[in-house]
Amino acid sequence: MGPPKKIKKYDSKPGASGKKKKIEEEITIDLVDDDNTENVGVPVAATQDAEKNDQVPEDEFGAKDYRNQMTLKPDNASRPLWVAPNGHIFLEAFSPVYKHAHDFLIAIAEPVCRPQHIHEYKLTAYSLYAAVSVGLQTGDIIEYLQRLSKCSVPAGIIEFIQLCTLSYGKVKLVLKHNRYLVESKHVEVLQKLLKDPVIQQCRLRRDGENELMSSALPNKPAGVTSKPGEEKPITNGAVPEDISQFYQQLDKDDEEDETTDITANTAVAFEVDPDKIEVIQKRCIELEHPLLAEYDFRNDSVNPDINIDLKPTAVLRPYQEKSLRKMFGNGRARSGVIVLPCGAGKSLVGVTAVCTVRKRALVLCNSGVSVEQWKQQFKCWSTADDSMICRFTSEAKDKPMGAGILITTYNMITHGQRRSWEAEQTMKWLQAQEWGLVVLDEVHTIPAKMFRRVLTIVHSHAKLGLTATLLREDDKIADLNFLIGPKLYEANWLELQAAGYIARVQCAEVWCPMTPEFYREYLIQKINKKMLLYVMNPSKFRACQFLVRYHEKRGDKTIVFSDNVFALRHYAVKMNKPYIYGPTSQSERIQILQNFKFNPKVNTIFVSKVADTSFDLPEANVLIQISSHGGSRRQEAQRLGRILRAKKGALAEEYNAFFYTLVSQDTLEMAYSRKRQRFLVNQGYSYKVITELKGMDQEPELFYGTREEQGMLLQQVLAASESECEEEREAGGAAGAGGARRGAPSLASLAGADDALYLEHRRQHNKHPLFKNDTNSENGVPEWAIVELQGLIQMKKDSTLGPTVIGDLHYFNRNKHPVLVLGHHILNGKEVKLEQPMAVMEKINNEGKIEYKVKAIVKKKLLFKSRPKPIISNVSEKV
Amino acid sequence: MVNVMKGVLVECDPAMKQFLLHLDETLALGRKFILQDLDETHLFISSDIVETLQARVDDLMDQLSIPVHDKGL
Repeated sequence: MGPPKKIKKYDSKPGASGKKKKIEEEITIDLVDDDNTENVGVPVAATQDAEKNDQVPEDEFGAKDYRNQMTLKPDNASRPLWVAPNGHIFLEAFSPVYKHAHDFLIAIAEPVCRPQHIHEYKLTAYSLYAAVSVGLQTGDIIEYLQRLSKCSVPAGIIEFIQLCTLSYGKVKLVLKHNRYLVESKHVEVLQKLLKDPVIQQCRLRRDGENELMSSALPNKPAGVTSKPGEEKPITNGAVPEDISQFYQQLDKDDEEDETTDITANTAVAFEVDPDKIEVIQKRCIELEHPLLAEYDFRNDSVNPDINIDLKPTAVLRPYQEKSLRKMFGNGRARSGVIVLPCGAGKSLVGVTAVCTVRKRALVLCNSGVSVEQWKQQFKCWSTADDSMICRFTSEAKDKPMGAGILITTYNMITHGQRRSWEAEQTMKWLQAQEWGLVVLDEVHTIPAKMFRRVLTIVHSHAKLGLTATLLREDDKIADLNFLIGPKLYEANWLELQAAGYIARVQCAEVWCPMTPEFYREYLIQKINKKMLLYVMNPSKFRACQFLVRYHEKRGDKTIVFSDNVFALRHYAVKMNKPYIYGPTSQSERIQILQNFKFNPKVNTIFVSKVADTSFDLPEANVLIQISSHGGSRRQEAQRLGRILRAKKGALAEEYNAFFYTLVSQDTLEMAYSRKRQRFLVNQGYSYKVITELKGMDQEPELFYGTREEQGMLLQQVLAASESECEEEREAGGAAGAGGARRGAPSLASLAGADDALYLEHRRQHNKHPLFKNDTNSENGVPEWAIVELQGLIQMKKDSTLGPTVIGDLHYFNRNKHPVLVLGHHILNGKEVKLEQPMAVMEKINNEGKIEYKVKAIVKKKLLFKSRPKPIISNVSEKV
Repeated sequence: MVNVMKGVLVECDPAMKQFLLHLDETLALGRKFILQDLDETHLFISSDIVETLQARVDDLMDQLSIPVHDKGL
């Protein structure tokens, strides 16, 4: 499907067939920062892939002929599934038993593609692991699958399910009465484990007790605050008897788990040495019996309860309810990941989980802004007040003692540099605590390596990961399954949309033709410049301006996204709109966002990728994307999430939110755009391609209408330096002239992770004397002053600290008060007299005779020992 | 002396014309092939190159669109 390119040839010859060429995928690799060697912690069975068992060759259309492996059942019309031998399962969404099958499939398989009518799922080792951990048994899975399938389930699949499930989920690591127990309902498994010498060493025996303890499972109902009205399976005439029966039976199993029948569910356990948990976990994985971590929080008497409850006004939506039921299914807290679309109320799920566990909780998110938002969420939904919630970020450090909930960022926890005394204390306290629950927000963004570090620092009983897109361009997501826990729940976007829980979004791809001049340059320039050229394409600018105006007239709130900072600034300044990007200070951001929310005059803001995640902008309903990060599917989904929050009172319209992607025609952007859309297409979204914006010609005063203006723009683009062409890689990094660079650059590229503008390592006493001109002079010898800063000045380019301008030094003569402006930051300093005056010498080699000349003398230094402060430009005045 | 060359009239959009000019200038097809640059959207090119050129344009289009059945998973 190429774009419709008009090449009419008046001499008509049959077209030569085009050769397929692989698209270069250099920019599509998203965050590759883990060592590939890190496969520890993933059981061998997890590397199994049903796809490999598949020997059937594809025909020329990519289809496979499975007829000899699958025999159709006579009553196939009433059954909803096709189970293919390669592990893919196709579900008819229009089938009367869809609901049953859907709930079951979501538990055992990974959704691949869920458009309107036929859904595709895939059985993977991970999904089966997840299924087992929420309490499904091997036999049940196979039997139910057989009942739902239109044809016989291939033998290979049954084998695969058995292989993947038999060893999983049999053993649990439980913390009960503050003793670590390895618990299992299967005595033989425990006995097998105990025969292992490594595990024997880890076992903790008390008073010679040698027998396995039998422990009753808790007999309290799950009590996720309010139990939902049990959805009755609609018994439809068309539903085959056995399916509905079995469904009810499964449901009952679930119930049983909750309202435990003690005799049936007795489990045996042995206690292990708390110090050797790591060892035993690793060993169990090697023995193919990975430990499932469960936390019996009701029986934990050592850790004090925190006094927190959900407010009565907080009402859980059915899917939130469901996801939490999976987590607290048997009265204990399971660790795992819950996947909900952005804007579907992930925070409420997190808050409810904390309220259910009622133990000390740690919330980790990836930016300072979302720390604030989490605090807001806690205050909004629960009875927690300021004294219970402690924020721990580079800007806000509340007193942690006595707080029940600590909210911080991943970076604060893991960064290795020295911290301030205050932060050090908090860290110590944090490490000493035994946390009941750790909530990991945007869990897909953290690489496994970093997560391991978090785990070593934070001791917690249960972990809950929250994300909208369990998806990464570098398949590292699988590791998370074993580091945090299985995926407990994943919502279907389209169903939430239909139910009105998230906005109905019209996705559109707007094709903007390249102007001839720009395309000409595009063909000859290097890749970086190419990117800038297609982003700065005048037609795109005009389209953007047109859309912004159009939606402003409608009274919509628009966010414009651009990864490219050069373009971001140019667009925003030209259209006179506020913009936020990496170096924008926290307070300025908040000011802009507040204005966007409440000021009716500010309807459009421009943001870079810092706003991809965790920027809660419930008002926004139009999103225009002018440049993006290569073919990152995740970014696309995250951005869509910015406008997904359900809109009030707009149900009458067919769509109440709009997502435009502006694409320059005939450029690489087209290919990226296709690639990016795949995730959302798999969720059932469809994109409308707009080749021409209606009414754009009539719109007066759009910029860059004339050739001359376009020519000027082209000159500007070509004059832009290499570094400006790049996307905002070093988010929060060196902006303008010399700022502090982040400790871990690989992580800095994580969207929104750039709040920590002033890191603690600035406190290091690294003296960096820079000599600067001073106006005073004595006896013809100029007097200079040393500028002493704390921390490191890292230049954006890897150049030596030669004659470069790093900022402006202002000097108030009145009180001898120097002020240094570096990029967007201001430093207040003071003048200090040097104990020993110094001279700056210049070595002159005068035809073999070496002379030293006094260039300047230095008597004083300007000491800047305070932390840099952000410059707050007065936004409200401008807009 | 009169020079006669057999050619083909090509009509395309302005951006695509730039692509053809680019191919012509960089000798990407081995030689120059544009006989006359007529206006914004029209070119006169030598007729024996048409087939190669079509393949080339197809290539460009293929690069910009990923195969439909590739799910990328």
